[in-house]
Amino acid sequence: MNKMFVVASREYLSAVRSKAFIVTIIAMPILMSAGFIAERIAEKGKNVSDRRVAIIDRTGQLYDGLVTAADQRNTFDVFTESADDDGPRQTESKFVLEKIEPGEQSADELAYAISERIRKGDLFAFVDIGSAILDAAPNANPDADREATLRYYTNATTYRALPRWLGQAVSTAVQQHRIRRAGLDPDKLNLMLRGPPIVQLGLVERDAGTGRIGEAETIDRVASFVVPIAMIMLLFAVIMTGASPLIQSTLEEKTQRIAEVLLASLSPFQWMMGKLLGMVGVSLTIVAVYFAGGAFIAMKMDVWQYVPVHLLGWFALYQVLAVLMFGALFIAVGSVCSDHREAQSAVMPVMILIVMPLMLFGQIVQEPNGAFATWFSFFPPATPMLMLTRQAIPPGVPTWQPLVAALLTLLATIACIWAAGRIFRVGILAQGKGAGLREMAKWMIKG
Amino acid sequence: MRAGDLRMHAVEMDNVTKRYGSHTAVDDLSLRVPVGSVYGFIGPNGSGKTTSLRMIMAILYPNEGAISVLGNAIAGKGAADDRVGYLPEERGLYRNITVRETLRFHARLKGHVNNKSDIESWLERMGLEEWGDKKIQALSKGMSQKVQIMAAVIARPELIILDEPFTGLDPVNTDLLRDIILDLRRDGTTIILSTHDMNVAEKMCDAIFMIFNGQKVLDGTMDKIQSDYGRDTLHVRVEGHDGPLDNIEGVTGVTDLGRYQEVRIAPGTDTQGILANLMQLGRVEHFELARPSLHDIFVRIAGPDGAAAMSQSAQTAGAGHE
Repeated sequence: MNKMFVVASREYLSAVRSKAFIVTIIAMPILMSAGFIAERIAEKGKNVSDRRVAIIDRTGQLYDGLVTAADQRNTFDVFTESADDDGPRQTESKFVLEKIEPGEQSADELAYAISERIRKGDLFAFVDIGSAILDAAPNANPDADREATLRYYTNATTYRALPRWLGQAVSTAVQQHRIRRAGLDPDKLNLMLRGPPIVQLGLVERDAGTGRIGEAETIDRVASFVVPIAMIMLLFAVIMTGASPLIQSTLEEKTQRIAEVLLASLSPFQWMMGKLLGMVGVSLTIVAVYFAGGAFIAMKMDVWQYVPVHLLGWFALYQVLAVLMFGALFIAVGSVCSDHREAQSAVMPVMILIVMPLMLFGQIVQEPNGAFATWFSFFPPATPMLMLTRQAIPPGVPTWQPLVAALLTLLATIACIWAAGRIFRVGILAQGKGAGLREMAKWMIKG
Repeated sequence: MRAGDLRMHAVEMDNVTKRYGSHTAVDDLSLRVPVGSVYGFIGPNGSGKTTSLRMIMAILYPNEGAISVLGNAIAGKGAADDRVGYLPEERGLYRNITVRETLRFHARLKGHVNNKSDIESWLERMGLEEWGDKKIQALSKGMSQKVQIMAAVIARPELIILDEPFTGLDPVNTDLLRDIILDLRRDGTTIILSTHDMNVAEKMCDAIFMIFNGQKVLDGTMDKIQSDYGRDTLHVRVEGHDGPLDNIEGVTGVTDLGRYQEVRIAPGTDTQGILANLMQLGRVEHFELARPSLHDIFVRIAGPDGAAAMSQSAQTAGAGHE
């Protein structure tokens, strides 16, 4: 036992003192939040200059309404409250409208003349509102009936905000016009047509102590989606950081001829377990650092309610089991390979087992208590990540499920350690070409 | 267990056989390593030497037979006794830790926890005090070799197995290591010294064991081995005679060594009769019943003639069983 801890402490210290560990512990949160950071950077650098758009209103009745809608948008909808106390910040472009009278010239000539202005940068886009648009049938064919359509011209085809706004604003203006023409009050009609708001709630529960039926909790998107994805990503990162270095270190011990020196002092099983325990320590260190950091930020930002404190124990259990299980497999692979290239291809099946839950995440989130998600979360290599995800999505899972799944994972972990131990014992001293699956199976059975 | 203990042998192997699939690496091997001795372990490459040493270290386990090290029988699992130190032929160290950390790690692995003073005194003796806090990757090959030797002896073992310990050392360090080995023996440590350098084995070892094709072919003190092999070799020089000598009755082979000829004679041949025959050929200037060097004996056993003889005797034995 003591020798195991001597190896474990060496493995631990060697890992946490390495540059790779320090880089990982700093880089991982950056990589994991890269999308968010990139969005923020892009937002800061976003072009929010005015977009001038020419309007040819062939109905003669919509332009004023559009100007009012644009003014309202430019005043209220293009600013965002910033987290720092700098006041509202403009995050969207303002749309500035310019009226063009159709005049005497043909539609094509007018369209060409305005297109030239756009090419020169004088305008961003223009829109041609057909004269029959107020009367058009709902399913008018835009190609056949030019006067019954709204035609949007631009050379910035990927900019969607303007056509989206125009479509909506013109539709609203047309609808209001039609409502008024029918002798109705648009404001009253809008009130009548407004649907009731939907509130998503969890299930109602009875308090076991007082016997009173409590209020159902409102379903929070952050709690039901962001927290599970953050947990599964963190668990994945921790498994990778905790288990995957074992393939390199085992390979080093084999190729650098350290193995025989060590085997003179301790049994292969003690050695392997020492390595595994060392890396369990490394992974727990990473999690402790991240959770401490996360808790600090959560408190600072006043979002402590999102920290899944009730799942921390499960997280730690799954993490330890996963690092032991996959770590044992990595050690076995490392011990049978003779160089890094061989190890890279031999490790693929183990990597697939680790990555698989991530690929299934979308489906699990859609229906966390469906048959697929439930059964898959009992498959030991997937249990740590999938069961944890299911537990993290409100309302969670019945208590027996994580207990049984953890027990199955524990048994699978013991089986992996046993098999890996037998392969490691022979493989670590074997020289020459790496062993194939058949040979590994033979070592596992015969020892 | 040090010299002077009641037990006579540090290692006892009885009828040990180790097979790898259909290949028998060690075949029915028995040996006794006396306590407090320097026991030379020799044999050509691939003869089963490393396998035997690994079995003594409990890294490998025999298919048949029994091994006892320092009074403890080696069972089919577990590691070597903490009282045994090992310097394998293929050696390696973790490259990213310092010399002191390396020694501390190996000492602790052998259960030697209070190791600070031992580490410092060994560093001083090896002349590596300045290098104690340097990482292994910064050391030269010879320095790494010295660290490896220190790692094998740091936990004050009672039995040390040194497999080719002199490889990679310059003459100064070779002398240093030789002194260390002799000092350890003086302190009562038993040393198994595996080497290809017959000169070293002959000078340093109290007893020599040779394994060839998995079988024991020599086992005993240098005197005993030389006297066993010494009765069949003559060094002769006959004035004015350069012709063949192998037509003399009892002579089985002659090697011209320049200054004299080495004559191999059949067992039981009367050397006086040979001398009389030589005197008829000319004036005998040199006639010596030679004690062969360990090198000669090794080559005689493991050289092409010896190998052929051994394989022939194995075939005869096999035929006898049929």
